[in-house]
Amino acid sequence: MESSNQIEWRVIGETVPGASHIRAGIPNQDSILCVRESSRSLPIIVSVADGHGSAKCFRSDFGSQFAVKKAAQIVGEFLDERRGKFDLAEIESVGKDYLPKEFVKKWRKTAEYHLKNNPFTEDEFKKLEEKSGANSRKLIEENPLLAYGTTSLTVAMEDDFILYMQLGDGDILNVLGAGEVTKPLPEDARLLANETTSLCLPKAEEDFRFLVQKISAEASPQMILLSTDGYLNSFSDEAGFFQAATDILQMLRTENGFNDVNDNLKAWLEEATQMGSGDDCAVAIIYRPDAVKKFEKFEQSEKLKTTTTETPPSKETSQAIAALTDSETVAPEDLEDVTVTITIKKDKNKISKSSSVALAETDSASSKLKNSPENKTEEKEETPAS
Amino acid sequence: MIKRPGGELASRPLHFIWIADSSGSMEQDGKIQSLNTAIREAVPHMKKVAEDNPNAQVLVRAVKFSNGAQWHISQPTPVADFGWTDLVAEGETDMGKGLELVAEQLKMPPMSDRALPPVLVLVSDGQPTDDFDAGLKALMDQPWGKKAVRIAISIGRDVDDEVLQKFIGNSELKPLAANSPEALVRHIKWASTAVLKSASSPAAGAEVPAGMDTANVPIPTAAPAPAGAATTAGTPNTAAPTGTPAGTQDPNDQNTIDDVW
Repeated sequence: MESSNQIEWRVIGETVPGASHIRAGIPNQDSILCVRESSRSLPIIVSVADGHGSAKCFRSDFGSQFAVKKAAQIVGEFLDERRGKFDLAEIESVGKDYLPKEFVKKWRKTAEYHLKNNPFTEDEFKKLEEKSGANSRKLIEENPLLAYGTTSLTVAMEDDFILYMQLGDGDILNVLGAGEVTKPLPEDARLLANETTSLCLPKAEEDFRFLVQKISAEASPQMILLSTDGYLNSFSDEAGFFQAATDILQMLRTENGFNDVNDNLKAWLEEATQMGSGDDCAVAIIYRPDAVKKFEKFEQSEKLKTTTTETPPSKETSQAIAALTDSETVAPEDLEDVTVTITIKKDKNKISKSSSVALAETDSASSKLKNSPENKTEEKEETPAS
Repeated sequence: MIKRPGGELASRPLHFIWIADSSGSMEQDGKIQSLNTAIREAVPHMKKVAEDNPNAQVLVRAVKFSNGAQWHISQPTPVADFGWTDLVAEGETDMGKGLELVAEQLKMPPMSDRALPPVLVLVSDGQPTDDFDAGLKALMDQPWGKKAVRIAISIGRDVDDEVLQKFIGNSELKPLAANSPEALVRHIKWASTAVLKSASSPAAGAEVPAGMDTANVPIPTAAPAPAGAATTAGTPNTAAPTGTPAGTQDPNDQNTIDDVW
């Protein structure tokens, strides 16, 4: 039996600009970020955000970048402070109240700092009024953070629990070993007809959905998928979207699964937005290679067992069956390889210009977030070229 | 490349619904024929607009109201396959019943979450003879009814503009007055093209912070100008005269010479 502290997780993530956004010259407003303190240890924090496409949210690409960074920072600090003395009831009760409040506060501060250093320009207002009418300027002047409006979805993996935090639309799916897809967070009835709760709204902290889920050998997901709504909306129905999650897990179970998914995810998202919603898509996949490998071995052994009913196995095969059907006797196979995780940045230019994929893996990356007193380093990076 | 994961991909449905008055008064002065002609002529333009955004699947159908209301074209028809069937005028003006029929179809299901905001175009020459408010309430009780782009065109001078304004539900957007066949053609074409284009734009499918007074679909500021007139497409003006989208020139100004209704 596997103890919980042996669980290892890998992460794959990608975002692509929407097909209709490309046609209209609108930047990718989705962002994605994965942070872990080292390549080996937990926690892993994965965050995606969907900057609103409304013309009034004309700086939402910045808003979503701030959202993923601040979410990862706040959740990371929260978990750090509780390291070694985890009490799930405490995490649930304290985190549910503290994290949304602190996150919204920090996001607002970051957006306000950005605005202070980059005041709205007449050109931005001119474009806004052309698209949304004269009253829209007044709306922005009354609530400047509306320009930065974004959703936020964050998952943090710890030794023995998973923390989920979501504001607004988008999806977090858990895929169990048998391929069953579940949503760990409850539906939000307010997310109808393109309306979404948002970080830019007053009292945003009250609109979060939050869950701390204990990891158990029986019920823990083998894969978690986070996505912005551009991906779901590209499928003709929700079943097709769920199917994507189970298909991806199935691929990860194959011998070269990690590389196959990692190498193809961008193309899949591009196809989805072209043939589907036309919206930006961001997808992060967190999965357990150890569980995947065990499942793979289980499947192989079942196959071999079936074969044996027809043809007696060779001596070698019998030995293989014996090994494969008893996980306790099998040495963890190349865990060194398996646990080298995290996704891969392919296009650094894309990060700074339009889309915002960023996966931080090292101590320095993490501590940079933690140690930015008032995020001055970050704001410098986030300031658009003028 | 390895096969893409997941089920069938599909562009987002955009439901465009004509809500047409086919009461007896529409027979007078050839109004019903003019409406039939105007919509038929607009269909090719709708097809062209739809082709420009492959991520929206434009589905067209029509409700008619007179004595009660019926679906005139009941199936949401891809615009590429859409053809107009002529309306025949007779009976009363049960506009409220027409809105109730539309409301039924804007429930979820049959509507899905992933749809783009529908476009509803109400065309009438008279005053409701049934409970209009009940019909409007049924429509506005549906999330997609509230989020729909609602355009109203009045034919002739017997229309209750206040009723049409309640249907539109946006003080910045006024009913379009058509006092001649030419004006009706312009307004129908404008609703079928400029509004449809806007409703299928990326902004239409974009998320909007909940509870804020923000329309998903920016209504184009271009007036449906008569042929040969200088247009101010996309150029907002300061005035918002009656009968036009806010901030546009008044198409009624162009009707004074050729008013026939």
